[in-house]
Amino acid sequence: MRAARMARQALSAVSENKTRTLLMMLGVIIGVATLTIIASSVLGARGMVMEKVEKFGLDQIMIMAGAGRKPGVPQPIPTTLRVEDGQAIESEVPNIKDVSPQINRRDYLVKYGAKSSYGVLVAANPNWSAVWNTAAESGRFLSEEDRTRLARVAVIGKTVVRDLFEDEDPIGKQVLLGNNPFEVIGVLEPRGTSATGVDMDSRVIIPLSTGQKRVFNQEYLAMIKVALQDPSRMDQTVADVRALLRERHNLPQGLEDDFTIVTPTQVMSLASKVSTTFSLFLVLVSAISLIVGAVVIANIMFIAVNERKGEIGIRRAVGATKNDILSQFLFEAVTIALLGGVIGAALGIVGLKGLAFLMKAPMAAMWQPIALALLSAALVGLAAGIQPARAAANLNPIEALR
Amino acid sequence: MIEVRNLEKVFQKDQSEVRVLEDISLTIGEGEFVSIMAPSGMGKSTFLNILGCLDKPSSGTYILDNVPVHEMNDDELSHIRNKKFGFVFQSFHLLPRMTAWENVTLPLIYSEADANMKAKAVQVLEAVGLGDRVDHLPRELSGGQQQRVAIARALVNDPRIILADEPTGNLDSKSGQEIMGIFKKLHGEGRTLIVVTHDREVALLSDRIIEMKDGRISSDRPTAQALTEVAL
Ligand SMILES: Nc1ncnc2c1ncn2[C@@H]1O[C@H](COP(=O)(O)OP(=O)(O)OP(=O)(O)O)[C@@H](O)[C@H]1O
Ligand SMILES: [Mg+2]
Repeated sequence: MRAARMARQALSAVSENKTRTLLMMLGVIIGVATLTIIASSVLGARGMVMEKVEKFGLDQIMIMAGAGRKPGVPQPIPTTLRVEDGQAIESEVPNIKDVSPQINRRDYLVKYGAKSSYGVLVAANPNWSAVWNTAAESGRFLSEEDRTRLARVAVIGKTVVRDLFEDEDPIGKQVLLGNNPFEVIGVLEPRGTSATGVDMDSRVIIPLSTGQKRVFNQEYLAMIKVALQDPSRMDQTVADVRALLRERHNLPQGLEDDFTIVTPTQVMSLASKVSTTFSLFLVLVSAISLIVGAVVIANIMFIAVNERKGEIGIRRAVGATKNDILSQFLFEAVTIALLGGVIGAALGIVGLKGLAFLMKAPMAAMWQPIALALLSAALVGLAAGIQPARAAANLNPIEALR
Repeated sequence: MIEVRNLEKVFQKDQSEVRVLEDISLTIGEGEFVSIMAPSGMGKSTFLNILGCLDKPSSGTYILDNVPVHEMNDDELSHIRNKKFGFVFQSFHLLPRMTAWENVTLPLIYSEADANMKAKAVQVLEAVGLGDRVDHLPRELSGGQQQRVAIARALVNDPRIILADEPTGNLDSKSGQEIMGIFKKLHGEGRTLIVVTHDREVALLSDRIIEMKDGRISSDRPTAQALTEVAL
């Protein structure tokens, strides 16, 4: 009760001089607002990357044809990656669960009557569905028979369905891939956008054999996705696969790989490295505003203590202990800082909403960074208030009353 | 109830020492009304502050209700101020942003009593004739009214000793009369009053007049006796 009464005293002092209180809060407001935005967006971005990586499969590696492909730089795809490579990996390297070879083309024209759509054409084996964790939502996926018969059948994504069929049921319809007629046998369950911004629902899957002989006229592959039995032994398996492929491709020592192996850890570490540098910089910004905020609060508190000497003297005369005075001023400082923290967090949430609107990406305010921001605000108040509060408590009551 | 022996107070001023109280011994009993008179700068306020446990003597003993106060620490002194003393100052010392009743509750904030603070404050304000000024701010009150709020604040914890340092010093004579009326009443209730004053009329209300000179008590007599001496 005594504490509650004293808290009320402190609050009335805070509301007394509003301009000054606002000035004291400013640094904390800026610091907490930036902290909220930064932490939420960094955490959000990291979460998004992790989600993508997990969809990619934590127990899988990808072998792409060609050495380290640079984004935006068109390079000829080498013709060395072959179905036999995949078979050799499956039979000779330990720890392999499944191997899914494929050829793909972006922006491939798909037509149905007068309507057309540009999709990603993927020629793959029936096990693609399991390895890519993408099943047929309606109809069926490719079968072993489709493969051996070189069947002209296709399983298509939702975007293609929307572009070509509107309300019609696509199953059993004939579409044109290039000039080849294909029968739609299934629709893929939706998968959204990939980490690299490709619409995964624009994919059109046909049998690998059909693609090789009837569409692309090529034997070589674009990539092989390999699922592992034990993901904890990934490093060893990647080394084995690499050694095997180099041997099969007759690459002498000193010549670089004509393929690229991508692992989920690579993707993750890249993502976290980028966001760590970014967040470090921004944390610095908010730390500086919080420190400036603390210095401002401390200075104004010193002025206030000096101005309120009389009040301190009276309170001491009617029975306030040094501790009572210390608590009162400390409580004031923490209240002001926390108030600044709450306003800052609110501004941060508004800022996040604005960013989300501008960048057309979801940016959720997260409770952890907000809790962290409020905690730092309280700490700023404590750190800033302790010296002025001590000075107030140690004032000689006689001097204070003079 | 109050017993001081060989009280000495020395202020450290830069390099030099200022010996304000040299050797003061006196006893004040329960229910006495004592006035302290002396020229300016003779150490009246210093002495009153020591009696009120706001300041500590440099040497000597101070026994209050059989307890050696000069040995107490800061927290214990704060507690004693809260429980046993009510202070009234020349310049009122009200908190300007608080209403009359809020100012009066100040001692209650620092005591354990958990009663309805506002009701108690209003009751005391009524007792000093300010029942209709409860919600006023100090700047909305006259000097005399402000001093009565200060007296109400001094009384709200029901202390047995009231210490006043020139309580009428800043007031016109009519307001001073009102304050003196209240003091008379408090004396009648059996409280102990110790009043520092330059005002003869205030001193005449008291039982006993103490005069100080050069850090010592130069005269300590019943008021009646002092009166007859003046009359002679
Ligand atoms: N903190 C201090 N440091 C140094 N000297 C002090 C201090 N406090 C009081 N004094 C000195 O002690 C002396 C007595 O002061 P005090 O205020 O007790 O006098 P007083 O009798 O109450 O005077 P007045 O009637 O003017 O109020 C003065 O000379 C004053 O300058
Ligand atoms: Mg004085």
